[in-house]
Amino acid sequence: MRRSRGFLLVLFTILISGALIVRGQNVSPLVFLNVGLPAVNEDTIPDETHRPQSPEAIRRAGIHAANDLVRVGRTGRAFSAGRVIVKFSDAMNDAARDTAVKSVVANGVRQPRAASADFDVVTMDPAQDGEAIAAAFRARSDVEYAQASYRVHSTLVPNDPHYADLQWNLPVLNLESAWDIQPQAGSAITVAVVDTGMAFQTGTLEVNIGAFVDETGASHPPLGHQLIPYAAAEQLVGAGHANRIVAPHDFVWNNGGPPLDFDGHGTHVSGTIGQLTNDGIGTAGVAFNVKLMPVKVLASDWDVAFGGAPFVGGTDEQVALGVRYAADNGANVINMSLGSSGPPNCGTKPNQDGCSPAVESAIRYAVGKGCFIVIAGGNEAEVNDPDFGLNPTSVLAEIASRVSGAVSVAAVDRNIVGQTGTRRCTGEASLPDCHAYYSSFGPYIELSAPGGSERIFGRNGYIWQQTFDFNYTDTFLPNISPTYGPPRFDVLAYVGYIGTSMATPHVSGIAAMLMQQGIKDPAAIEEALEKFAIDLGPAGRDDKYGFGLVDARAVLRGLGLAR
Amino acid sequence: MRVTKKITRGVLCGLVLAAFPAMCMAQDAPAISLRPFAAVAFERFTATDTFSSVFGKDTGWFYGGGLQVTFHDRIYAELSASRFTEDGNRVFRDSSGRVFNLGIPLTATVTPFELVGGYRFHPARHHWLVPYAGAGVGWYRYQETSAFANPGDDIDTRHAGFVAHGGAEFRVHRWVGLAADLQYTHVTGILGTSGISADVNEIDLGGLAGRFTIVIGK
Repeated sequence: MRRSRGFLLVLFTILISGALIVRGQNVSPLVFLNVGLPAVNEDTIPDETHRPQSPEAIRRAGIHAANDLVRVGRTGRAFSAGRVIVKFSDAMNDAARDTAVKSVVANGVRQPRAASADFDVVTMDPAQDGEAIAAAFRARSDVEYAQASYRVHSTLVPNDPHYADLQWNLPVLNLESAWDIQPQAGSAITVAVVDTGMAFQTGTLEVNIGAFVDETGASHPPLGHQLIPYAAAEQLVGAGHANRIVAPHDFVWNNGGPPLDFDGHGTHVSGTIGQLTNDGIGTAGVAFNVKLMPVKVLASDWDVAFGGAPFVGGTDEQVALGVRYAADNGANVINMSLGSSGPPNCGTKPNQDGCSPAVESAIRYAVGKGCFIVIAGGNEAEVNDPDFGLNPTSVLAEIASRVSGAVSVAAVDRNIVGQTGTRRCTGEASLPDCHAYYSSFGPYIELSAPGGSERIFGRNGYIWQQTFDFNYTDTFLPNISPTYGPPRFDVLAYVGYIGTSMATPHVSGIAAMLMQQGIKDPAAIEEALEKFAIDLGPAGRDDKYGFGLVDARAVLRGLGLAR
Repeated sequence: MRVTKKITRGVLCGLVLAAFPAMCMAQDAPAISLRPFAAVAFERFTATDTFSSVFGKDTGWFYGGGLQVTFHDRIYAELSASRFTEDGNRVFRDSSGRVFNLGIPLTATVTPFELVGGYRFHPARHHWLVPYAGAGVGWYRYQETSAFANPGDDIDTRHAGFVAHGGAEFRVHRWVGLAADLQYTHVTGILGTSGISADVNEIDLGGLAGRFTIVIGK
């Protein structure tokens, strides 16, 4: 193993050198060379892709489930239409069995028997009642048993090891039952992640690191020309999944290059939406088969250091462009784990300073094109903003509250775990408050989802996904790296984040599944998510939790006549 | 010979009398007549939005039968059972009334047991036409099953309701009548507390049905 790694390093060096010679002396601020080593994955477990319940098996089951003709029997158990299972007496020969079939169901055909079967499958007109036909077979003395071809389905509890030990956030949304309903998990849907980019390609960055001031205000000297390894997050675009990336675009560098994440935020958010799941590795995601559209609108410290952005973060202009781009390029859901504080009354006075009419216009444009938009509610509940006071309004989330088809999302913490029933998080001793301490609140909050919190729970309260190991990326922070040096973006780990940024992708993933389930209209999706949300805190909608915690199973399952 | 004939006639009459008490009463109205019947009804449900949302239509067929007892061909009591079953899908219905099919199979079954009393009219000019009208009570079993149900999600419940009908019976044969009537049922307590029916505030599982019956007996 070490030998092969060494050989790869030599090969890598030769290829990079060749690429540099070909490129000559005209080095732009950032060049991404599609030559690089795969990621160093810090959390490795044995390969389990060939075991039962492998992701391939689950996905096949999902495809079959979507295509089957399904009937619900008198007992409530679903069965596949057009076929029954019949066990004839062993004494009967084929001719006798065929005669028996015709006597029960005139258009029935006994199918060739599988080698391992001791029963026959009789196919017939799907319009016929499989249970009734089975009962007719059972009435014959030469039939040992007969039954409809009842459907079975996986009860998907992902085998990703950290699903069990760290991801408290997914079961509380009733996702296991939701995955049973929709094992395809959003495979036909594209979710745009308007964020810091995404680690979806492997290669080498050729950069010139200038002097820069990080977001803490600390100054750092130039590092000059550097070759920096960059690797895709394998739990987003692992083997066989590279084609899930759709129309990536970078509005920070605006150089036509790939929207690479130099922060880890966008990759983490993408993981919650669509981390590869049930592959025996790492963590699980919500809609783990969705297509992902990375749209980079937020710069990180390294974007600044590399010369691609004047400051950390983004602008309304970039966000508006990103949202419009996503809508124009086939996104069905747009995740916006970003925000900004501003005045509380942009709805009534949209043209005052501090409001974002350009973003609002883009959001309305995207919703008009059929996109459902999910926006973080803000992390400023305990922030005393010099201009807007304590718990300032998150202006983008406030826009969502005024647009039917866009929602704002507050964060809940791990106190939600174990609370059941119609009353939750009321603050009583047995029903502790589960509003995350940082989660902005106000009349614009519409839904809640797990955003995590380190208070009380420590690391067990985080939201975990695969992204860059910050020990290798945040080398400008003295507490991370005693000596400032170039970063590495090829070391990925399962990292815990907290924030409404983390709550938002839960809702995006469920919205993607809901779209695939049959609700295409953004306004209807919002209405459904809010209608089926689990009420938290005081009865009814409130400013901390909005309509409550999204309930994946309830919203996907919808309503019958009387229940 | 005549005695044998008389005995044979008497035995036959006795057998028939045992099977159908009314048959040996000849053309006169029997004091009590038992008349089995088979019925098919096409009903438009009162809960139109509820049924339309799930099944794409607010109508359905009931198949069943029962037994009618007439007293002097005037007063009657009728006990019947029937069944409606339909497959649909679970849905979401938004506030503007748009229905989104979620593709999760659902089967609903309504099984009414109805007891009706009424009066049969005998117009002087058309002895082959017998108008009738009646009213009574029903016990309605409602079952709703759907895929991916957790314990307690499916429904199997019974509630009482009211029924009234009116129509006419056409005598097409000495022993056979065809009847057509309109039947109204009103059944509360099943719909309206949850599901789509609660969303659209529809509480009546009944409806108005056109019912056709074939009656055996006089």
